[in-house]
Amino acid sequence: MNTSKAKETLLLYRGPIDDCDPQFEEALAHARGDAELAQWMREQSKTYGTIRSKLREIEPPSDLAEKIIRNRPIPLRRGWTQIIRKRPTSFGRGWTQILQLAAAIVILAGITAVWLSLSQRGRHPLVQGQEIVVKGEVLDMTCYIAYNMSGPEHAACARDCIRKGLPVGIKGEDGKVYLLVGTNWRRGEPLNSQLAEYAAKTVTVKGKVGTRDGFAMLIDATVVSFGVETAFPEPVVDDHDIARVALLVAGKRAAKR
Amino acid sequence: MSVDPEFENLVKLYYRDLYRFGFSLTRSEADACDLTQETFYIWANKGHQLKDLGKVKGWLFTTLHREFLQMSRRQERFSDEPISEVADNLPPVAADVVNRIDARTMLGVLGQIDEDYRAPLVLYYSEDLSYKQIADVLEIPLGTVQSRIARAKTHLFQLLTETNHRSHQST
Repeated sequence: MNTSKAKETLLLYRGPIDDCDPQFEEALAHARGDAELAQWMREQSKTYGTIRSKLREIEPPSDLAEKIIRNRPIPLRRGWTQIIRKRPTSFGRGWTQILQLAAAIVILAGITAVWLSLSQRGRHPLVQGQEIVVKGEVLDMTCYIAYNMSGPEHAACARDCIRKGLPVGIKGEDGKVYLLVGTNWRRGEPLNSQLAEYAAKTVTVKGKVGTRDGFAMLIDATVVSFGVETAFPEPVVDDHDIARVALLVAGKRAAKR
Repeated sequence: MSVDPEFENLVKLYYRDLYRFGFSLTRSEADACDLTQETFYIWANKGHQLKDLGKVKGWLFTTLHREFLQMSRRQERFSDEPISEVADNLPPVAADVVNRIDARTMLGVLGQIDEDYRAPLVLYYSEDLSYKQIADVLEIPLGTVQSRIARAKTHLFQLLTETNHRSHQST
């Protein structure tokens, strides 16, 4: 490794926090034998520390923590908190902004009411097409549509929601999302119980593709095959985080006592 | 209202870091407060799904960043850019030059950096996150994180040098 290459690598080196990162090993070894590069590193490190401390001088408003804690949603049952939750109020908006927002809501509500009254005069036809096969991730449609929650981090909640009978869907490999409607849904069809264990995993289903008011669905859907792979890699764990969580758990235990 | 000590501890542990990250992204105190509050709000509803509590910090930062992206309705485009020649173009900025700049001015300077580059740069400077963790938080590839930080750092140093020259001229 030459000095230029070492400098390029060490541009990202922050000090002890990166000591365990193998990408810096060779460049650090080179710097130990190059006085000029070592001096450059010391200056970089000092500047890094100064910029870091400047950024960490920024303090949030004094009442922020209290407001967050006060607005904590109170869960009734695990997985059902979003139904009763009260959204936190927004910070520091001027009255002009609030009035503008209120006016916009009133106008939109008016337009929506007119649109609804006009649209409800007719029926909402179901457009049904040919049978298709879709391979993709099993979704809990409520959390996906409302909060854009999916993937393995959301798998446990999705499993609970699907098991409880909330709408189940599938996100195909092309990114298209379908609501899944089973063959005997009026009599408590087995699709939810079949798919609950496969939340956030890949399965293949077939059904007649249909739409109502723009919502895509697979009607008379049946499972063709169950996959096992998940779509996303697991993130890494950091020692600092483990220590912090240990503090959290200790705090919780102390509070219980 | 009953207080959940676990939730309270978590808020007190991370709200400053999240606020700083939110403030550096939005450059607005109100928006940073909203993002921080919304992040904990989502945690209160969805945090139980996180099986490994060791990942809580990354989860919170990812959630805040997602909320920010939703707020600004931006479409991310990912690409790997090489870092080559960035180190040679890095203008020398001494620590005492940075010391003369206050935190608000520093944020103003950061605000001039494109948002795609600003987010990894802020995490690089202000949080004890590894490059892999920064990549996880921002949901972009590791190589992209490193190249963006290198370029953003060069841009930041250029802007700091200009700010320093301007303050010299005015005095």
